Formats: sequence, C-alpha cells, structure tokens
Amino acid sequence: MQKDLENKFLLDFEENQNIVHKICSIYTTNKDAHNDLFQEITIQVWKNYVKFRGDSKFSTWMYRVALNTAISLYRKSPRKVKTQDYSSFAYKIESTPYDDTEEKQLKALYAAIHQLNDIEKALIFLYLEDKPYKEISETLGITNVNARVKMNRAKEKLKNILNP
Amino acid sequence: MDLLDKYKKVWKNQPEDAGKRSTVEIYKLAQSKSSSIVKWIFIIGILEFVILNSLYFFIDMDEAYAEYEKLGLINFIFYSQIVAYSILFYFLVMFYLNYKRISATDSAINLMKKIIKTRKTVRNYVLFNLGYMALVIVVATIASIQTNLEDLNNKKILFIVFASLIATLLILGILCLFYQLLYGLLLKKLNRNYKELAKLNTNS
Repeated sequence: MQKDLENKFLLDFEENQNIVHKICSIYTTNKDAHNDLFQEITIQVWKNYVKFRGDSKFSTWMYRVALNTAISLYRKSPRKVKTQDYSSFAYKIESTPYDDTEEKQLKALYAAIHQLNDIEKALIFLYLEDKPYKEISETLGITNVNARVKMNRAKEKLKNILNP
Repeated sequence: MDLLDKYKKVWKNQPEDAGKRSTVEIYKLAQSKSSSIVKWIFIIGILEFVILNSLYFFIDMDEAYAEYEKLGLINFIFYSQIVAYSILFYFLVMFYLNYKRISATDSAINLMKKIIKTRKTVRNYVLFNLGYMALVIVVATIASIQTNLEDLNNKKILFIVFASLIATLLILGILCLFYQLLYGLLLKKLNRNYKELAKLNTNS
C-alpha cells in the first residue's frame, strides 16, 4: 500500500517537477537556495500526498503545496552555504536550440519578478501559468475580487519594472 | 499585444529546467529531513515548556517550601500550583492541536493563520508563566514584609520592594528581548506576507 503510494507520488512529481523548478527560480536567486527550496517542496508534497484525493488534477494540488512552502514554510536551511548569485541563469543551458532574444526576455522577466514581494510573485506566477481567478483566489485564500485587484496592481508593478 | 502577454509567451516557451531530477533523486529528497518553519516552531515550543518547567529543578524546593511555610504561604503555593499545572496542561494540549492543524494543503492565508496561532499559544503560555512567577514574587515580598514588620524600618521595606521590583523587571526585560529576537527572526517573512494578504481582505 505504502509502496503503491510512493510509486504514484514519484511518477506524479517527476512529471510535474518543472512547476516546482519555476517556483524555485522565482523565489530564490542562487542555485543552492534553488536546490534547497526544491528539496523542501519535495518533502512537503510527499508528506501531504496521502491527503491528495485525486478529485483535482495533481498539478493543481501541487501548485498550492509548492507555493505554500515557498511563501510560508521555507526557511533558509543550514544544509547548504550560500554561493554566488546566478543572475546569469546558467540553469537554462539546454541542448535544444533556443531563440536568443527570447532567452534575453526570459532573463529580464525573471529579474523583474525577483523585485516583487512574495505575494505578488505568487500572483504573477499563477497568471503566467494561465490559472483562472477561481483557482488563484482559492490558492491564496482571498476573495475573487481581491485577487483581481491585487493581480492588476502586481501586473502594473511588473510592467513598470520591465518597461520603465 | 499587451506587454505582459508577450512575456507570457516567452514564459511558456522556456525550456525545461536543467536540474531535472530522476525518480530516484526525488525519492531521496522526499525522505530527507524538513527544515520548515513549522518544525522550528514545534521544537522551540517544546523547549519552552521543558525549560520553564525544569527551572524548579534548579531551585532547592525543600528550602523554598520551608521559607513559604515560615511566611504562611504554603496553602497559597499549593493551590496556585494546582491551577498553574492545569493551565500548563491546557496550553500543551492546545499547542499540540494547533500544531496538528497546520497543513501545507490549506490556502496560503489559512496556513499562515494557523502557524501564527500555534506560536501565539506558546507565547501566551510563556506570558502566563511569567505572570505567575511575578505573582509569587509579589505575594512573597508582601508576606515577608508583614512577617518581619517589627524588625523592619521604612528604609528597609523600601529597599526590599525596590530590589524585588528591579529583579522582576530585569528578568522580564531579558526574556522579552530574547523572544523578540527569536520569533522576530523566525517569523519576519511570515508576518510580512500575512499582513500583505490580510490587508487585502479587510480593504474591501
């Protein structure tokens, strides 16, 4: 039984790990912290996986646990020491050909998101991931109207940073 | 096209992260030890209960009771300790229940509320304990003044009151500073984020 659950978790998590990587990339600014947050999110998703009923998509459920970990549960752990900043974003090195201008824009987008506060980061992340307002407001625990108000402010702030 | 729509497209086209983990790696990570804030609150909370209660082991209780007997406070100490221990038990149960309610599957604001509530349980317990200690000091000071009234002149009484006042304030001050620092460091981010979300909900 436990083994089944474990295997299911591993497959689900492996398939959706890119969501976690993206969250780590917006909430941390260096590789060690990224890995550390990734580890904590993995622990939290596994710890709570038994509560996942499957009445929603795994990815939807994981957005919530992962964001909660990044916003509220995560503390820089003494597991690793801080190293240099990775604003150069070595994490995007991939063998597939990738548009140079798009890469620059992506770097600029991440750099701009890093200037937002934790809540704004969550809002913008969910916007970029095309989440409906219903899901955004439920994930954060605020009303739909407030989610819209706050989202508009966060978007304005982001636009100003991107295009001052 | 809106500026952000353009960036949204870029976001969607971003390649997969280079640090992709295999299932074996994920398994290892999932089994590793959490260093979450909730774990720290639990450990520190338990330590507070233990430390505050073990203070009694450092005091020679026989001598203290003999002193209370002399001052005619033995009944006060006995009954007030029964009350204090019942309250301690109540706080321990509440602490555990609040701690168990914390869940990463909750909405962000509820999760924050529950973490803050758990920590407040410990804070209230500590406040209660300090209040109880202060009460014992005050009662003991008054009783010792009354018992030794013939041997004391006003100057001496004033000195006793002043000395116990200073000692109480000093202990309370150091503890308050310690708490501000400890929880300030631990919960700074959480409190800030909670305010940000809560502000939104009261604004409308």
